[in-house]
Amino acid sequence: MAPSKKGPEEFPPQTKYALKENTVTQVDQPFYQHYDTGVPIAIDMGSYQLRAGLTNSNTPNNIFPTLMARYRERKSNQLLTLVGNDVYRDPLIRSSIKSPFDGSIITNWDYVETIFDYTFAHLNVQSTNESVNNPIIMTEPPATTLNYRKGLYEMLFETYNAPQVTFGIDSLFSYYANTNGKPQDAIVIGSGHQSTHVIPVCQGKGVLSQTKRIDWGGDQSQQFLGKLLALKYPYFPSRLTPANTTNIFQDHCYVSEDYQHDLKHILDMDILESKDIVLQAPVEIVPEKKKSEEEIAAQTLKRREQGKRLQEQAKVRRQEKLLQKQQEYEYFVNFKSEFEFLTPGEVQKRLQTENFDDLSDFNKYFTNLEKSIKKQEHNEEDSDDEGFNDGNIDPLTAWPLVGIPDEQLNAEEIKEKRKQKLHKGNYEARQKSLEDKRREEEERAQYEQEQKEWRERDMEGWCSSKRIELAQIIHRVKERNKLLESFKDRKSMAAQQRMRSIADLANDENGSTNAASRKRRRNANATIDNDPNDTFGANDDDWNAYRDITNVNLEEEQAEDSKVILKLEEELLTYDANFHHEDTLAAQTTFDWKNSSLHKFIHGPRPNISLAMELEGLEQDEIAAHPEIIMKNHQLHVNVERIRVPEILFQPHIAGLDQAGITEVCDDLVNRRLGKFETDSPSYNVIKDVFITGGLSNLPNFDTRIVNEFTGFLPIGAPLRVRKAQDATIDPWKGMKLWSDTNECKGSYVTKAEFEEYGPEYIKEHGLGNVCLME
Amino acid sequence: MGQPTLYELSQITVGPHSFKSNKPKAARRFKPARQLLTDETKYLQSKNLKFDTPTYTSLVSPPTLKPIKKYCDITGLEGKYKCPSNGIRFHDVEVYQEVVKNMTTSLDQEYLSLRGANVVLK
Repeated sequence: MAPSKKGPEEFPPQTKYALKENTVTQVDQPFYQHYDTGVPIAIDMGSYQLRAGLTNSNTPNNIFPTLMARYRERKSNQLLTLVGNDVYRDPLIRSSIKSPFDGSIITNWDYVETIFDYTFAHLNVQSTNESVNNPIIMTEPPATTLNYRKGLYEMLFETYNAPQVTFGIDSLFSYYANTNGKPQDAIVIGSGHQSTHVIPVCQGKGVLSQTKRIDWGGDQSQQFLGKLLALKYPYFPSRLTPANTTNIFQDHCYVSEDYQHDLKHILDMDILESKDIVLQAPVEIVPEKKKSEEEIAAQTLKRREQGKRLQEQAKVRRQEKLLQKQQEYEYFVNFKSEFEFLTPGEVQKRLQTENFDDLSDFNKYFTNLEKSIKKQEHNEEDSDDEGFNDGNIDPLTAWPLVGIPDEQLNAEEIKEKRKQKLHKGNYEARQKSLEDKRREEEERAQYEQEQKEWRERDMEGWCSSKRIELAQIIHRVKERNKLLESFKDRKSMAAQQRMRSIADLANDENGSTNAASRKRRRNANATIDNDPNDTFGANDDDWNAYRDITNVNLEEEQAEDSKVILKLEEELLTYDANFHHEDTLAAQTTFDWKNSSLHKFIHGPRPNISLAMELEGLEQDEIAAHPEIIMKNHQLHVNVERIRVPEILFQPHIAGLDQAGITEVCDDLVNRRLGKFETDSPSYNVIKDVFITGGLSNLPNFDTRIVNEFTGFLPIGAPLRVRKAQDATIDPWKGMKLWSDTNECKGSYVTKAEFEEYGPEYIKEHGLGNVCLME
Repeated sequence: MGQPTLYELSQITVGPHSFKSNKPKAARRFKPARQLLTDETKYLQSKNLKFDTPTYTSLVSPPTLKPIKKYCDITGLEGKYKCPSNGIRFHDVEVYQEVVKNMTTSLDQEYLSLRGANVVLK
């Protein structure tokens, strides 16, 4: 491995952000103090939030999420109905939180009624005739469904007996507020909780026929982010709640000004440093009691003593056993000597009293006993008498008996001779290996000498030829790796080939159609195990077939080549000035997390601390219990996602939505649907005010991105102006308040009588509202 | 004044209210969103509308005409390559070796479902 010049780099700790749950707002919704009959009530009901207030106030009195919960409290056994922020007051309620919306459509009108009850109660609506005696201005989405308006009409006219009701589009109200009630020409981009709308406004009137809807909003973004993070951190200890992901989305996502460029560089170390966000889930760390040095030392000492004691005990036990065996042996020697004076029948009897079957059984036992005693004695005596010293052996005189023929020796000497022969053989073998080693050394020295001369003669040539050699071997190793790798895949060409050759081996060598194999097939008794024609194994080379099958050769060659590579690299490192540690194969293939996009994606711009701990020699469970590791396991890194999720508004296909994004819709609108782009044409006028509103307009850089995109498809010098709503959440309500004073508003109210006559389709069209579909 | 109890909060909503009739009403029929959308389509078809009348269905953004950019399913980075066995797009060889290559079938479907390219059995 390449030693780095510096020590391990130090990184400052990253800022950690908390993984936020829904904040429990204990602030009570205010009750309105200036209720007055006849003052219009403006309600901006979106699928995320509801803002409501009387129009004699400057801001909506109540803003709360469009949520409710019906929940039976265990203690008092009371059925509770909670609305808005109150649903977050008790974590037990969380599972019964409901929304009247399913997507952008209201499905549950009972929930709507509950939410309206809550709203009117907080607006302090006072009445004597069981009616809300105020005109009501409400928002609805562009080109809403009939069911939506019918539901609201019925709700307001029949349940609350409202005198008159009018509807308008939230984004247009927001635009109206931001022009101080003087709408001109504009493109309104309203990006809300469930969908995003692009609405052109011409001469103060929304052009619904040229409006387009992209079915992507904050809710889908939040869900998508949740899915991404769940896939990115499959072992994250806790499940991310929608509240978690919503908060991540709101706090950390931003619109990229130039997505392709940002994407290319977001994982660059310096950029990632600022873009990577660490989110820390709450985690409790129980501090582990640390043992002091002395305690550890005492512990090891104790353990060692214990081991010693055990060893001694075992030794004593062994000796006892040996003693016992020796006694037994002596006994049996006596026992055996008695046999000489007995008849075979008596011997048998004696043997049976000692629990032996017959004489051979006894002999077997006796020799075993003898052997084991000898062995044990030998072990006890010269357990440390190992190693050879050939230095003082004279090969000529050390084994005098070896040269003398057996006939001239007595039995004792023959035994001694055999021993000497063995010693001599060993001695000679050792000498031979020494000789070999010496020769190898000489060869190496000679090779070194040659190399040295070559280098002195032609340094450049030496370097380049060595480099070429190295490259060739590396190439060979890589090829072989590929081959070995491909064997793992059952379907690969190499693996198929190998299977075929195994099948061939199982068949007869000459193919399966010759006479012998046909005969074998006919002979049902001949199995593969007892086939008389099978000569496998007669020749020792046959067994090589198994080597071929198991790729032993490949692996051996691989090991050999890697040795050669190391040697070559070492030579090049010492003599070639241009060959550095970074150029070695090891350095190129060792994992450097800074080059790993996957590491940086998952762990951010910091090294893997668990790997570092492993290198320090900590145990696995020690690492798992380390507080830093526990903290890390509860962390999320958000980097690419920060721009990936908002980008869906511009490229919906990222999330599999087959719709044109904001850019394409606007491009089409300006350059085609509103007519030719020329001075003072409608399309020329609308781009003078591109207005962004809705919850997602709070994403940083949304306006700059829109500028970039519009500049992309507009001719040079087009009078482009892009702006965001001042406060996207309450601007629609402010627009409604502003509009409630106008004659346009007063003329657009539908009375209860009109509703009863014309039905839910009927609305009076105005510049900020939908188109009436009645014929 | 202390914190209102959940019961008190509930009473604000539940009433009784002076602004509406507190008589019990017939229960409303619940329809799921999908059925409401079918109803809407049927209602729009029953009407004789002009081609440019804005309706819920006509407002939807048309399919894109621009070439689709390809991104890595795992990291979201540029996705130049596509795994031939499961169709996952990936950024570089490292992502392939570490993630894509040994991916289980259910996991690759989860990744593909992010961009709606998963196999949906009907």
